[in-house]
Amino acid sequence: MNDQLNPLLEGRIVVERGAFKLDVDVSVKQAEIVALVGPNGAGKTTLLEAILGWLPLADGSVLLDGRMLEAHGENKTVPTHEREIGMVFQDGLLFPHLNVMGNIEFGIGTSLTNVSELLGLLEIADLVGRYPKELSAGQRQRVALARTLATAPKMVLLDEPLGALDVTGRAIARKLIGNVLRANGAGALVVTHDPADAFALADRILVLENGHVTQYAPPDQIRTRPATKWVAELVGWNFFEGDGNGSLVNLANGVEIATAHSGLDGPVAVTINPTAVALYTEEPAGSPRNSWHCHVESIEFVADVARVSLVGPFDISADVTRAAVADLGIDTGSAVWASLKATEVGIQLLQG
Amino acid sequence: MTPQLPRLLRLAAFIAVAVVAAPLLSLLWRIPWSELPRLLSTEVVADALVLSLVTSLIAALLALLIGIPIAFQLSRMTGISASTLRAVATLPMVLPPVVGGAALLFAFGRRGLIGETLDNAAGLVLPYTPAGVVIANAFVATPFVVLTIESGLRALDPRYELAAASLGASPLRATLRVVLPMIRSSIVAGAFLAWARALGEFGATITFAGNVPGRTQTLPLAVFVAMEADRDAALAMSLVLVFVSLIVLVCLRDRWWPAK
Repeated sequence: MNDQLNPLLEGRIVVERGAFKLDVDVSVKQAEIVALVGPNGAGKTTLLEAILGWLPLADGSVLLDGRMLEAHGENKTVPTHEREIGMVFQDGLLFPHLNVMGNIEFGIGTSLTNVSELLGLLEIADLVGRYPKELSAGQRQRVALARTLATAPKMVLLDEPLGALDVTGRAIARKLIGNVLRANGAGALVVTHDPADAFALADRILVLENGHVTQYAPPDQIRTRPATKWVAELVGWNFFEGDGNGSLVNLANGVEIATAHSGLDGPVAVTINPTAVALYTEEPAGSPRNSWHCHVESIEFVADVARVSLVGPFDISADVTRAAVADLGIDTGSAVWASLKATEVGIQLLQG
Repeated sequence: MTPQLPRLLRLAAFIAVAVVAAPLLSLLWRIPWSELPRLLSTEVVADALVLSLVTSLIAALLALLIGIPIAFQLSRMTGISASTLRAVATLPMVLPPVVGGAALLFAFGRRGLIGETLDNAAGLVLPYTPAGVVIANAFVATPFVVLTIESGLRALDPRYELAAASLGASPLRATLRVVLPMIRSSIVAGAFLAWARALGEFGATITFAGNVPGRTQTLPLAVFVAMEADRDAALAMSLVLVFVSLIVLVCLRDRWWPAK
């Protein structure tokens, strides 16, 4: 968000674990919150553990605030406890034999962090005498965050910090964590599987798939220009790969999509916002391009929006209002026409 | 609900318990209860009791001191090297104690590999001394510490150490402030088992430290001697040993091998 700031954390992280290879270029700016998302087994936790120095690098290097922490082929590796990187674990991982205050004070060495302020911000001041087993999952998570921030790390890694919480707890904790991280000013790398967390918390979102970064961009760009099928599904967009030909894109299944672009040539990805897909019971007159005869496979309601999944020449999802579903009188199995303006078709060039 | 055992197996278990309990019950049955205070306060018995308590306690501490580093090392090893080190470290548990005592003599005896140096350098002689009793006891007791603590360490989530390191704790501080407190029940279990084993030690002690009343004659040795001379005294001392061992095992409950 602020390009003048120097990168705080930068590096290329290569870790090999059996057949799995992680190869990631990562950079986090001062005071930036980066969300790390990706399918299970993509290497998200592995990346955090490598940044911490828990897993040795097979190649690459890690720099924090201009200081070389580790470089492949060099003997001098800064050990985890001297890296000034804090980690908040998925389950909090509080020390069970210490009470809340004991946990929070565990790491305080030379730092001058104001602990009482942290306790207030995270709303845990009343819990200081309790032991971890006497806390709820959400409270444990907040204590774990306080414990890490109390050491005033330059960089904070959070592994699914909201994973253990229910929906209400998540919303509250998300806000708290966001506020505290921003007040703290350290860089943060947050692993999450919930796109809502990523979009609410992050300045940028790093998408990791099968050990590689497939997209690293601000939330708006992730939302509107998903680079891969996985990201598209994450944000609920339609995603197709095809061959560009002038202003047209031909999908492998024979479907032709008209776009507002020109001069397309070679492999492209098509992204379509489901709200841009209009549904009709009759074949739409006028603009015959980009309309397909489909059948409704399922309809899911979220609040006032109906996500209509269609099968036909190709599978596509449409978001329409609850009222529109009633007006159209459609149900599972109904025949509908799906229609799309060429200007609503997003195009990304793919490397051949 | 727990599924019921086959009737035959329950019967077998009942018989087995009876077989194990019979000798102990016979012992209890023969004990001259009214004579107990007098029997336990004779000089020989009192000396043996005190010597046993003191040496077994020191031996248990020594076993912790030796066993904890071995357990830590073992918990970080895998494969054949781990199995080999574990076998060596726990050998005294399965070795006949007499052989252990003889081995100690060859090491710490006056002509032994280490003993000669100790004697020449510091005038320190271990065999046939109370210190020798401690050494013999610790030798047989250490494997219990190694096994219980290694098992506790392996059951501990290694990410706790990572958490401590990410909070700026050096490996030493992480070990002292996080790992040791978190495996304290294993340490306690190992210490109690070591102590109980040391208290009952016979073979290695008599071989390495001899059987000098008031000096190296521990309770089990005194029982052995009294079986010939004064059966009632032997029974009284046996009762003490049974009682202590039983208390230790009941207190440990299922902490002997902490759940993986």
